Amino acid sequence: MIKKLLLPLFTVFLLGCTDQTASIFQDEPGGSITNFEDNIHGTYASTYRPLESENIVIRNATVFDGNGNKFQNFDVHFSNGKIQAIGLRLVTDGAKEIDGTGKYVTPGIIDNHSHMGVYPAPSVRTSSDGNEATNPVTSEVWAEHSVWTQDPQYKLALAGGITTFHVLPGSANLFGGRGVTLKNVSANTVPEMKFPNAPHSLKMACGENPKRVYSSRGPSTRMGNVAGYRNAWIGAENYKEQLERDPSHRDIRNETLAGVLDGEILVHNHCYRADEMATMINIGEEFGYKVSTFHHGVEAYKIADLLADEGICAALWADWWGFKHEAYDMSIANIAIVDQARGGTGCAIVHSDDESGIQRLNQEAAKALAAGRRAGFEISEGRAMTWITKNPAKSLGILDQTGTLDMGKDADVVIWSGNPFSVYTKAEQVYIDGALAFDKATNFMPHTDFDLGVKEWEDK
Amino acid sequence: MKFLKFFFLMPLLLFPHAEDMYLIKGGMTFLPDGSFTKKDILVDEGVIVLVEDSIGDVGAENIIDANGKYVTPGLIVFSSLGLLELSSLPETNDTSSNTYNAGFDPSKAYNPFSQAVRLNRAKGVSSTVHVPQASGYFSGLLTYTKINEGYKQKKQGPLGLVTSFGQSYDDSRAANLLFMEDLFNYVRSNKDDNYADMTQFMLGTGNDYKFTSRDLKALLKVLNGEIPLVVEVSRATDILNILKFAESQQIDLVLWGAAEAHMVADEIAKADVPVILDPLDNIPRTFDSLNSTYENAIRLDQAGVKMAFYYAQGAGSHNAYLATQSAGNSVAMGLNYSTAMKSITSNPADIFGLVGVGSLAPGFDADLVIWDNDPLELMTNVDNLLVDGTDQDLSNRYEELTERYMKEKELPNSYRSRE
Repeated sequence: MIKKLLLPLFTVFLLGCTDQTASIFQDEPGGSITNFEDNIHGTYASTYRPLESENIVIRNATVFDGNGNKFQNFDVHFSNGKIQAIGLRLVTDGAKEIDGTGKYVTPGIIDNHSHMGVYPAPSVRTSSDGNEATNPVTSEVWAEHSVWTQDPQYKLALAGGITTFHVLPGSANLFGGRGVTLKNVSANTVPEMKFPNAPHSLKMACGENPKRVYSSRGPSTRMGNVAGYRNAWIGAENYKEQLERDPSHRDIRNETLAGVLDGEILVHNHCYRADEMATMINIGEEFGYKVSTFHHGVEAYKIADLLADEGICAALWADWWGFKHEAYDMSIANIAIVDQARGGTGCAIVHSDDESGIQRLNQEAAKALAAGRRAGFEISEGRAMTWITKNPAKSLGILDQTGTLDMGKDADVVIWSGNPFSVYTKAEQVYIDGALAFDKATNFMPHTDFDLGVKEWEDK
Repeated sequence: MKFLKFFFLMPLLLFPHAEDMYLIKGGMTFLPDGSFTKKDILVDEGVIVLVEDSIGDVGAENIIDANGKYVTPGLIVFSSLGLLELSSLPETNDTSSNTYNAGFDPSKAYNPFSQAVRLNRAKGVSSTVHVPQASGYFSGLLTYTKINEGYKQKKQGPLGLVTSFGQSYDDSRAANLLFMEDLFNYVRSNKDDNYADMTQFMLGTGNDYKFTSRDLKALLKVLNGEIPLVVEVSRATDILNILKFAESQQIDLVLWGAAEAHMVADEIAKADVPVILDPLDNIPRTFDSLNSTYENAIRLDQAGVKMAFYYAQGAGSHNAYLATQSAGNSVAMGLNYSTAMKSITSNPADIFGLVGVGSLAPGFDADLVIWDNDPLELMTNVDNLLVDGTDQDLSNRYEELTERYMKEKELPNSYRSRE
């Protein structure tokens, strides 16, 4: 039954999910009782300004729209930084023509789990800024305050089609701090990279890591972990009550947690085991918040129906496993099973958590697609493309701005040399908000300050 | 050739082991010349007997139709397969030693029933070079093991002595190079020394590296030219220093990792030193590898350097089979397809002088994979793996887990069927 679902149905289901998501994840900041400055529009707001957009029509390409569809001989038109239209033989006025014959076009690829910038290259002690592993609860730290704008890894990801990525704190803590969603653009300050209007996120972590790191002071068990989450949420509730009595009270640790309880901050929860994910869902029920996305979820396939019922996304690897006990029960069809749960209503995401993997998310999706088909699912390439475009955008609360080629969205567009599910395919051009960011043919790409003076061999 | 014709005429007399014989028909076969050519392959008693355009009825009990499929040698990977279950649990990890260093051979810990072994078999891996990770100045000895099912595996080795050179928290790399020179010179001129004498030598060095007589014997194998020194190294100038060191010591050398090898590719080619690398390593992970690039493999190939590939990304050793993805990407970067394919099959065998493996030709062990499509593509599946001429069981725990959670979902999962 699952296998027989047709493509148009997928699209309907996904659109349905989207609307629901918007209401859950994108509450108006004005509705909050917390007094701290509005996170999205205040002092730390994005100051991102796109480069000047081109007016371009890509002709006669194979187009994945990010909604689950694959169109042959389609045109893609963007200008003023926005997608204008996709379709057959588009009429445009004065747009620069790019021959897309034999090429594939997709939305910009989105990785919702990266540590670029906070664990930059080279990997040295002095810039290892990804995890404030000094207390099991560090919800007060923000990854954006660790991000190094000169990390040479951004452009490598760009060459793999990555236009947006979400930087999370590490997983040593029960509450690791706030994550930040960035446009993959070159800038000298972090706010200039921040994705405009993207909600903040909170990193939480289950399982082995927190109980290992804090074993001497606690938590040292999984039940200790859970007590730690619940105590912290009770503290956040108390903080909210206190705030009603004294609106000037500041407590940045609890401001983040209250932001989650108020529906402004999205929970991104590192969690491998199925039973632990189910427990985390219970904790969300107890305190009235919803997990946006479970990350890593090597056992997500065991509770795929539950995740679909709860409307929770799972950001997964195609094939990582075995590096720790909670990553032992791998299924090579994990992503596909999550995707196909409950008649294809699951929200599966291919994530990297890795500065090498982020360069080839399309290849990781291909392996996951192959495993799903081998397990017996009929999954289209268009559907698999949603795992690295639409679904991560949904997970990050930015689907209204990017993630598909819908009219009016940011013109984050990748032109591929061929089918992106082939190992031989390369991203040829990447556009961010309609501006050319990467061009393989001319070796056009940003170079950070760190890159300068390094590549002497290029001229040898 | 007359002999071969006789084979066809008298098949049953000449091949009394019909049940041991496999005839693989019509697959696009990766030949030693680097081409994919439609061939029939006859296997008897574990060995490839014939690779011909067409082989008639020779009475083989096992006939595999490979028409429309691809046939390659079994993948030879560099890994810790069967040496560890879960890398983060030391009690399940036998890759390292504090007792021995140069003489440490982790392959003695090999467990053929490791889940990772079974998974990698299902993905086309027929054998591995086991990579030691001892904690001393040397990491230990490389050995070769087939990963066929059952208790008995053919092994070859030791193949090489592994060490690393470059940035260090403990001492200057200059001092490390001097130490290695002193050590090799000492061992060369004191070949009969025992552990106690070696300790005397170490007293003068101000560090606490230990050498047992087993470790000294491993060093002697390098000095005697029996096995190469395999050096994990990144920086271009370090590579030049190691090339010079090997030349002065008159020892064989293999480079490992070698992120900046492309900068000194001509020097490496001139010294006729092979390089083992992951073509996907393009991140400047250390100050020794600031010039990391996807072009490393391409430039080394252009200079004429022989390469073998491993996969060092993601979950690492448990997914050693993804050497196909590394090789596929190297083709996308511009490497010749046959060079990429050889880098995960025959080149590892050539580099370490492995006998009778890595190629599809008469006389070679029948280690071969039948793929349903291009072996380097991401969505290709393995249909059959033969190791020593036996069709391997490709079932594994991960497909069982998948099945369990896709079928009979109305039952509590513990009561669902097992394979």
